[in-house]
Amino acid sequence: MNEAPYHRHAPQQLAFFGKIGADVSHEMRNVLSIIGEYAGLLADLLAAAEAGRPLDHARLKQLSDNIVGQVRKGTGTMERFSRFAHTTDEPTASFDLTALAEDVAALAQRHVALAGCKLEVQLPNRAIQVIGNPFGLQHAVFSAIGIMLELLEKGEPATLRLDTEGSMAVISISGNAAPGGDLSGRISQLSAAMSELKGTAGTSWKDKMLSLVLTVPIP
Amino acid sequence: MEPLKILIVDDEEDLAFTMAERLRLRGFQAEAVTSAIEALKRLGKDPFSVLVLDVKMPGIDGLQMMAEIKHKHQDLPVILLTGHGSAADAERGMRAGAFDYLMKPIDLERLIEMIKMSARAKEGGTL
Repeated sequence: MNEAPYHRHAPQQLAFFGKIGADVSHEMRNVLSIIGEYAGLLADLLAAAEAGRPLDHARLKQLSDNIVGQVRKGTGTMERFSRFAHTTDEPTASFDLTALAEDVAALAQRHVALAGCKLEVQLPNRAIQVIGNPFGLQHAVFSAIGIMLELLEKGEPATLRLDTEGSMAVISISGNAAPGGDLSGRISQLSAAMSELKGTAGTSWKDKMLSLVLTVPIP
Repeated sequence: MEPLKILIVDDEEDLAFTMAERLRLRGFQAEAVTSAIEALKRLGKDPFSVLVLDVKMPGIDGLQMMAEIKHKHQDLPVILLTGHGSAADAERGMRAGAFDYLMKPIDLERLIEMIKMSARAKEGGTL
């Protein structure tokens, strides 16, 4: 009996889900730690005021605004993670690729920052509706970002772009890559994964600029 | 008696600077920087009593920085800050010579206790 593609990649997909979950929990821990420190500082300033130190109202307002800002940041992270988690609900769905690319780029930012890199994101200001496996596609985009991080020259940024070419949506991850990296094995894995998503994966070089290009058909 | 001089290193700027401000309100001479490179520069200019160091940072992370510190500032006590998912990293840091570690979110009273204990250990030559 043939194993369904959805299940064949289960170990890698589970690892990807775990990686994103760990990154989000780390980000939420930081948000809560910062809120905790701001709340602690408010309490410290109030205690100091009781001991006779003048209360700086502008500073209190700033701390209150900072707490609101962190709550907004944490809420955004949890909403993004919730959307990500729900992409596993169905193996095939109709979804907006622009929103999906924005989410996966945001979810990859910590991974990118820990690698000492930056990921710039250029998305069209319109929805690109496609039909496919949204979780599998996010996995493919995240894997392509990971490959690019390994190949980038030190300090160089990567750029994620999404656009359409005819009947295809094209996601490219580009950057100035260091020579000598062996791409063949990783690209063939990515191609196999994209083929199961009815898309393609490939590379292009222009001077030192490497682009990993994923395409998805637009119905 | 001179206040203890603390250097906090955490890439989360809001966390590092707020923690430093809270320590200053409690009588410490505390400063914050947001990268290992900045911290190594700062340590090269002035002596500090204790270093509070985040384990997971972009670029040079806390564990890589530990190796530098043990090479250049052998008697500087280091308290590591870590998330639960990085407890194994903190254990590695302990084996590399950190005084102790704390899980985030930080309990400031516990951190102050550790800072005082590590400074006493430094004074007593038992680091």
